[in-house]
Amino acid sequence: MPYAAREDILGKLKKADRREEAPARPPLPPLTEVGWGTEQLIEKFTENLALQTGVVHRVADRAGALEKLTEIAQAEGWKAVMIATDEVLAPLDLAAWGRTNGIDVLKAADFTARDAFKDAVFDQVDAGITGVDWAVAETGTVALVHDERQPRLVSLAPILNVVVVPVDRILPVYEQALERILAARGGMPAHLNLITGPSMTADIQATPFKGMHGPRRVIALLIG
Amino acid sequence: MRRVSLFVPCLVDLLLPEIGEAAFALLRRLGVEVVYHEAQTCCGQPAINAGYLPQARKVARHFLKVFGEDEAIVCPAGSCVVTVKHHYPELFADEPDWRTRAESLAPRVYELSQYLVDVLGVEDVGATFGGKIAYHEACHVLRGLGVSEQPKKLVRAVTGAELVPLNAADVCCGFGGEFSLQYPDISEVLVAEKTENFINSQADALVLCEPGCFLNISGYVHRHHPEKKVFHLATLLAGNGKGGGA
Amino acid sequence: MKIRTEQFVEIAREEMKNTRSKAFLGLLPPVINAMRQISLATFPDPDAAQAYGAAIRGEVVTRLPELLEEFERNATARGTKVVWARTAAEANAFVLDLAKKKGVAYVTKGKSMLSEEIGLNDALIDNGVDAIETDLGEFIIQLLKRPPFHLIGPAVNIAVEEIRDLFMEKGILAEPTEDPVALGYAARLYLRDKFHRLEMGVTGVNMAVAETGTIVNVENEGNIRFAKSSPRTQVSIMSLEKVVPTMADALHMIRLLCRNGTGQKMASYISFDTGPRAAGEIDGPEEVYCVIVDNGRADLYDDPVARDVFRCIRCGACANICPVYTKIGGYPYGWAYTGPMGQLLTPLLLGFSGTSDLFRACTLCGVCKSVCPAGVDHPRMLLYYRARDAAGDPRLRSRGRPLKERTLYDLFAWGATHPRLWRQGAKRMRPRVNRGARDGYLSRSVEPLDGWFRSRDLPEMAEKTFHERWKEREGHKAKA
Repeated sequence: MPYAAREDILGKLKKADRREEAPARPPLPPLTEVGWGTEQLIEKFTENLALQTGVVHRVADRAGALEKLTEIAQAEGWKAVMIATDEVLAPLDLAAWGRTNGIDVLKAADFTARDAFKDAVFDQVDAGITGVDWAVAETGTVALVHDERQPRLVSLAPILNVVVVPVDRILPVYEQALERILAARGGMPAHLNLITGPSMTADIQATPFKGMHGPRRVIALLIG
Repeated sequence: MRRVSLFVPCLVDLLLPEIGEAAFALLRRLGVEVVYHEAQTCCGQPAINAGYLPQARKVARHFLKVFGEDEAIVCPAGSCVVTVKHHYPELFADEPDWRTRAESLAPRVYELSQYLVDVLGVEDVGATFGGKIAYHEACHVLRGLGVSEQPKKLVRAVTGAELVPLNAADVCCGFGGEFSLQYPDISEVLVAEKTENFINSQADALVLCEPGCFLNISGYVHRHHPEKKVFHLATLLAGNGKGGGA
Repeated sequence: MKIRTEQFVEIAREEMKNTRSKAFLGLLPPVINAMRQISLATFPDPDAAQAYGAAIRGEVVTRLPELLEEFERNATARGTKVVWARTAAEANAFVLDLAKKKGVAYVTKGKSMLSEEIGLNDALIDNGVDAIETDLGEFIIQLLKRPPFHLIGPAVNIAVEEIRDLFMEKGILAEPTEDPVALGYAARLYLRDKFHRLEMGVTGVNMAVAETGTIVNVENEGNIRFAKSSPRTQVSIMSLEKVVPTMADALHMIRLLCRNGTGQKMASYISFDTGPRAAGEIDGPEEVYCVIVDNGRADLYDDPVARDVFRCIRCGACANICPVYTKIGGYPYGWAYTGPMGQLLTPLLLGFSGTSDLFRACTLCGVCKSVCPAGVDHPRMLLYYRARDAAGDPRLRSRGRPLKERTLYDLFAWGATHPRLWRQGAKRMRPRVNRGARDGYLSRSVEPLDGWFRSRDLPEMAEKTFHERWKEREGHKAKA
């Protein structure tokens, strides 16, 4: 692309008559969610995710989470899962859990090549399990920052996505999640996703259909 | 005594003079002195809508000359009020003198129901009507002027009248001036739907504050449901029950 | 896509008779409007939230070049390769060259109206690179070679039987079915393989954040996420007005976009991309390109009224509530952009000659303006277009209006400024107009009012105008 294109476009834009000032920002009352307390945040997160057909289980602690996971694995007949290795999942030691339950627990570090990882996450696993960076009660949303421990496809390619959410990570609104992410990462991460429920469409006859391309179901395990 | 200048839109003058007479009679009955400038013609709205701004400016200047000194101008047509209030100042963006005149006139122009309720503080004008009434929220009255409660208050206060809800009351009837002639197929579907909603409302009469919508809806109702009535608000309130109803 | 804006009237007429289109228009927009109301009501003050959106977009329009430079600077610093394209041809050539250089057989496409505007799919396919639309609706209309019916439901009016036959013919479906969910699942399986082997993903852009150099995409299906996760090369194409000042602004606009577009409080997936993948990531693109496309917009920027079209965020709220769109559907608009936003954007991009129905087929009811979260004043803009068209503005590629029409308005203006002649004219017209009137009404067709009289009567011209009645009364009074 010729550099001239940039100069041409910006040149025209800057040459234009722009006497008017940018409009002043009118007052914007703070969102009601901002005032919610802990239990209300949990309740609203659950309620909002359920509206998107997300299933939420609340457990007391890590042991409870593993127990619930076993229950889900048995009900779904899991043989293999792909997991993230983020700071929420790491302490759960899912590798050991997999060995106990006879489930192949795969993670990105098991693969040296991108294509082999893709083959596995697309075709060889029954579910993707992730932690969260933050969760947002406003809409039952989870915020995932993608990095070496949180591959992009884990929460996307498998038909079922299990997301583990420590309740102290549930925040009222997106802004608060973003603020913490920016502080922790020193700026915007390469790839951040706000995920609210499963993949869906209503493009044929306006009939809702979950699992269009990504997960058909999202299950959240709330710890705490 | 309050004094207003009556602006009779061209559609009313030529096709629906009863509406003008009703507005005149109504204001007089409420103790308002009504002035009528014989030099008035049209506000120029058709030319603005069609994009003929130099022509519209000529007409607007004439209007400003005729009405410029009046302390209050009352008009039984929302879209004409929008034209004078909102379009004139923009029309004269490059002519500071005329712009000033247009801007100074703008706050003195009122749609009829607006004047009655907001300025005179009247709701019960002493009219009677036996039956149910549905109110059509004409686009320019509702969204152009923000006038909606005023006409409904006036209707509610009519002795014997019951204001009933109208489904999709705020949806355009499909008139749009030249639109109804250039795109009659689309216009027809819209006015048919408006009429259907009117019929389904079980109201005996449909009331509105816009002569354009009046021509469109009453023209359709007259053809397809001759037993039903359409009234301009002024006609209803003047209580003569005749002219202006389809 | 074939441009059919000149056939507006014919296509509208056909569509108003099409029972399937009518059924969907009677159902879908009202449902979305209701959901929009409900979701907007979750703001403590919905009007303030909409007004704040309008202020953000207003700022974008005023500060456009500076914001684009800021975006470019920050995106580049994070490794995004920012590319500028003056024309559709330049943009398409860039994407095609890149695909050739990377040796890819196909690219997947995320829904992008800009891509339809510039004809990117054809440019790729004609040159040996397959371009596969992956949003389900876009996937279907691409296979059918049909324009979008609805901004967010481009294929929502297509019969399941037709989709069944199409999918069977293309080998997407193994066993015939008319179940929408089964059809959708067949498309999932078909496209899944494309995502799996994907080497280059092309998506549009909902917002480009100047402050951070971040590209934001809003979607429900996950096809855009795949395009940003699976391939080594990712290309985002954006029309230059998609920039927003800050992340805080982007979050507010996301809230407004979801609520106004689909009536959701939040779409399923919002991706924020700031450069290529981070060190150590096993998936995600190694290279991210952002193509900023002008395609005639910079020339329009000098026009203080026309440039307000750059406020638009493509939510489609205006279409769902437009009395005209909800009767005729998306096809008559004849191109990528449907409904009121198309009525504003298409004439500017394609020129006024050949698109004049788009800015004339409007009753100026103003309901579009009342729902717009970006502060677009549609009626004002349409009136402006009409005025520039009547003036024959060559910059907007107008050919002017017929002489007959101009003469009519000259005559009108002359008459309206000569009150005595105005009244005499009316008097003289009366017997001619009233010929054939019965019981005070005209019903018979008279040129040029044929269309009116097909379904409507018109009161005859009054025996005495208001003016005449007034004169009589005043004359009487004077005598008394």
